[in-house]
Amino acid sequence: MTPRDAARLTLVVFGFVVVQQTVMLDLRIGGVHPDILVLLPIVAGIIGGPARGATIGFGTGLVADLFLPTPFGLSALVACLLGFAVGLATVALDRTAWWLAPVVALGGSALYEITYAALGAVLGQPQMLHVALVRIVVVVSVTNAVLAWPAMKVMAWGMTRSSTEGMPTSDAGVGAAR
Amino acid sequence: MLILILAAVTIITLDARGGLHVVTSGVRSAASDAFAPVRSGVNAVVEPIGSFLAGSVHYGAVREQNQKLQAEIDQLRMEQAAQAGQAQALKQLSALLHLPYLGNLQTVPAEVTDFGTSDFAATIDIDVGRADGVQLNMPVIGLGGLVGQVVIVSHHTATVRLITDGQSAVGVRYGPPPGSLAVLNGAGSGKPLSADLIPADTPLTDGEIFTTSGLQGALFPPGIPVARVTGSHTGSSASQESVTLQPLADLAHLRYVTVVLWGPSA
Repeated sequence: MTPRDAARLTLVVFGFVVVQQTVMLDLRIGGVHPDILVLLPIVAGIIGGPARGATIGFGTGLVADLFLPTPFGLSALVACLLGFAVGLATVALDRTAWWLAPVVALGGSALYEITYAALGAVLGQPQMLHVALVRIVVVVSVTNAVLAWPAMKVMAWGMTRSSTEGMPTSDAGVGAAR
Repeated sequence: MLILILAAVTIITLDARGGLHVVTSGVRSAASDAFAPVRSGVNAVVEPIGSFLAGSVHYGAVREQNQKLQAEIDQLRMEQAAQAGQAQALKQLSALLHLPYLGNLQTVPAEVTDFGTSDFAATIDIDVGRADGVQLNMPVIGLGGLVGQVVIVSHHTATVRLITDGQSAVGVRYGPPPGSLAVLNGAGSGKPLSADLIPADTPLTDGEIFTTSGLQGALFPPGIPVARVTGSHTGSSASQESVTLQPLADLAHLRYVTVVLWGPSA
């Protein structure tokens, strides 16, 4: 990855953080706010495959942890696993399919929130399973499904061709997203 | 992949065991400091958009509220709503600055800027930080009683963990002086507190007030009202009484709070 590639990816992540920390924190639905940072490992996994999904998930998770009062590193761990799982699950699929990003964002976001709460409970914070988990899963999953295509386009710009090398269908996916 | 997972687990473990907590706390503080101007600038631009989106989501409620507000406009004009609002804010702040149970403890008034960045934790953000003398673990008081404790502090802002958060535990006294000791635990935002260490069949009345214990090394100074009893019972063969309590401060509608410049070693 060249410095220019890294700068583009950093800019994308920074943009997502800004939107999350400003607009999304004010937008509460049923007392729950959307979490678009979860979209980053998902779209990175779709576009770049398991390895890139895991790497970008880890990095964006660490950034998310900077702004959360929950255990430091928990978002990084779950986002890393999610990016890897999404990359692995979609590697053999047609990435140009219009339904892929919203459906994966819907399921991936739900998986993220449930895993986040479960791992938090394992790490000594049992109250994370006693919050309005169903509401959180529904709100985050649905909003991320709606925002999946714009996120794909932005991340496709941030992840250059060099960063998706080795992916069997990455050219088609990135091209379609662009 | 394995390296990343191991790295994440290592970070979590070190942070939880305290070895890395100073570092992570410092990094969080630095990130908050660095991001504050960006957040402030972007908020000024996009807040109207956020409000519009929020309004769209709650269209029905907003419309109903709008109709009510329209009906109240004439009356509000007569009452000079703006002045009344300012007077009320001043009254709240004044009340916060003269809380009798704080004695001579130094305090810093603060405005609540946000109700939590995570749906998994009960926290609030306030507009004072290190520059105002605020430090980690300092108690935060609202009208009525204890609100929580500072858990993240940056230069000009701080995050407060509310007493309803599942990670919160407050040492308290109850009953006739000198009072018996117990621990109040949070169970999540909006949920009642529960009490630990209260022996079975202890006579408690609804409305009884629990105050901070102030034992040596305690996280809060003594005598701050925390919560009132809303229910208690002892199950058959239980060694402890099951007690639920309601925080005295209205945690869902906090506007101003007071940070007590106090630490266990002070």
